[in-house]
Amino acid sequence: MNEVIGIIIAAILCWLNFVIVDTYFGLPEQPGVRGARIIGKDVEKRGGDIAGGFFQGNILCSPDASAGTLMASIGYLLLGIPGGIIAAFLVFIGNRLCADPGYAGTTGCLTATAIIFLASFIGLTPEMFIVGMVIAIFTVMGIDQAKMSVVLGKIAKKFNRHARE
Amino acid sequence: MFDLVFDTIYFASFSNFYGLSNISLSSFDILLAYVVAIVCSIIVALVLRLPLLPSKPYRYSFDVSALYPTPIIAIGIFSIFLVLNYTFMYNGLVLAVVIGVLSALFVKYLFDFVFPKPLDENAGEDINE
Repeated sequence: MNEVIGIIIAAILCWLNFVIVDTYFGLPEQPGVRGARIIGKDVEKRGGDIAGGFFQGNILCSPDASAGTLMASIGYLLLGIPGGIIAAFLVFIGNRLCADPGYAGTTGCLTATAIIFLASFIGLTPEMFIVGMVIAIFTVMGIDQAKMSVVLGKIAKKFNRHARE
Repeated sequence: MFDLVFDTIYFASFSNFYGLSNISLSSFDILLAYVVAIVCSIIVALVLRLPLLPSKPYRYSFDVSALYPTPIIAIGIFSIFLVLNYTFMYNGLVLAVVIGVLSALFVKYLFDFVFPKPLDENAGEDINE
């Protein structure tokens, strides 16, 4: 498959994977770690949404499904499917070390491994998923944090995981 | 891309010279060994009276249960053995059973010692302080 098209498809798949898994396991609902609360309040002060702010703070401060997707891509590139599962194990240990109560990281890592394996049949390589995941995190954290937090808050409301309810 | 999958699985299963196995594993054997590791760890964890599911709002994973950390630890350690090209006898089934039992014992008796719960009680509190 053409590299540019593959990277775009991989970025969309990664974005959907980590946003859905993170939202389902309640990242926008409450700050799992201390730094996430500060980031969430700061984003709200700049005109964003508090649930999206908690989401951004959580994926910044502790390994959640975003880090899980990235590590699963790297592990899959290095070692194949066992590499993806080792990445899930490492993300689990990282969650424990960060004192992060949550299931999102390990679950996101395993689902990302499954997605990369299934996408390999249509010609997407793990390298495309690494680049796509970096692009996906950039769209969430890098372009406009306040506006993106509003979008994430709407998604959280759709999943019934919003903070203020 | 499919070549990478095939090549890595083939590499992970190729020529166990130093183990007691003299048959290189097919991908079906690897899948079977993974399933055996998961099922064995869950059954042993249930025998050791861990709860099957974690406590209800699925947000505090320091409460161990039979379904959340036990199979993850089992298949993670089994994958490390697999990529290090050491699968013991009977196509890795013995290794899968041993790792399943040991991971269940670890979760039951050693988990709180190795990964202690955070002292900070209000780490995941509500936003309305």
